[in-house]
Amino acid sequence: MMKFIYTNQNKSTYYNKSLILLLLILISLSACVTARIEDNRIGDTGINDGEGIVILAKSYHLGNDTETNFIRCVSSNMSKGSSAIRVLPTNIFKDLLFPWFEPRTAPADTKSLATLMTRNQVRDVFQNQDIRYIVWLDGNTDSTGGGGSMSCAVGPNGGGCFGFAWWQNDSKYEATIWDVRDTNSEGNISAEYSGTSFMPAIVIPIPLFARTQAKACKGLSDQLKIFIAG
Amino acid sequence: MNIKYIFNIFLIVIISGCSSQVRIDNPNIPKLLVKQLPYNVAIKYPENFNNFLHEEKVIGKKSWQVDFSSSNKLLFNEIFQSYFEKVTILESSEEGLYDNFNFIIIPSIDATEFSVPEQSQDETFSVWIRYRLKIFDNNGVEIINWPISAYGKTSTTSFSDDKDLANAAILAMRDAAALIILQLEKTNKLTLSIEQT
Repeated sequence: MMKFIYTNQNKSTYYNKSLILLLLILISLSACVTARIEDNRIGDTGINDGEGIVILAKSYHLGNDTETNFIRCVSSNMSKGSSAIRVLPTNIFKDLLFPWFEPRTAPADTKSLATLMTRNQVRDVFQNQDIRYIVWLDGNTDSTGGGGSMSCAVGPNGGGCFGFAWWQNDSKYEATIWDVRDTNSEGNISAEYSGTSFMPAIVIPIPLFARTQAKACKGLSDQLKIFIAG
Repeated sequence: MNIKYIFNIFLIVIISGCSSQVRIDNPNIPKLLVKQLPYNVAIKYPENFNNFLHEEKVIGKKSWQVDFSSSNKLLFNEIFQSYFEKVTILESSEEGLYDNFNFIIIPSIDATEFSVPEQSQDETFSVWIRYRLKIFDNNGVEIINWPISAYGKTSTTSFSDDKDLANAAILAMRDAAALIILQLEKTNKLTLSIEQT
């Protein structure tokens, strides 16, 4: 018969494991997020083997301020997982077509794209890179209306915080899909994610973030894959 | 010895907390996708294009210094080498050679400004550069005198303020390239000047 001996070493391992578990639970905790995704299809889509897309932010000259990391996130999600689509990195695309996709010169509508495609050099780049769709991203994530209070103090025997704070996160993005082959707009997808982040503190502040931007990225990427596949 | 060492570290920490220097060595302007004009041009750069420095103090905050080094020269070299068939960079002592070229181009910087998140109250860095572009024909007659107002904006990333400001400046330089090409393609002053000579 085996007898379990509860030694000091076992006790210490038990506490360490509990602490790690508690930390993991705290890290994985996040506040609730409400989501709404709508797509508005105008034309037929579809993508052949080898064809790719490029994801660009609408110009900041038009007042848009889509975050660079959001574009990177959507590009990365689109190019991996099931039904992955080849995505040409934005910087490479802009350098290949410099200066025609800079914030000042990028086509604002499909009519301007058609005019741009009359330049042989531009058309050649699209053909060589086998770019079928341009996805324009518009929107951003804002932290709005917050409240609560929290105070922290440090003394000779340690420190700590006490209080409760909260704030609202809103992520609103829209993706517009242009087919390069016939220079038509095939439709758009809008994604709205909102949630409230909390930070209660009893000695240690425990942040419970509403990760609206990350969820909007995942939701929009998944919907874009479905939209483009047709 | 130790006190001196600690004092030096303290001084470095204080100085680095009050000012930030951004250096742009090469803006990596790509080759422009434009139709080349069959002209032989010369570019004459002002002296400050070798080491252009812009300093600005944000009221109540730290001061920022943007060292463009010779990046403006690299920018204009790329623009005009893409747009004209033959380009020569003139040194200041070569003024007598003007009539060997179809056009002489003299770019300069009128003004530079920037804003950091502390000023703009949002998470962005913005840079404005106002260049001036003068083009003379081979008789020394000014045929073009354009202000080129370029703008670049980047959003902040974690722990890399200096890099973000440098990126905004590079975007402003790329914007200048785009604007110059748009205006050059629109104007007929160059072809008219060639036809008249």
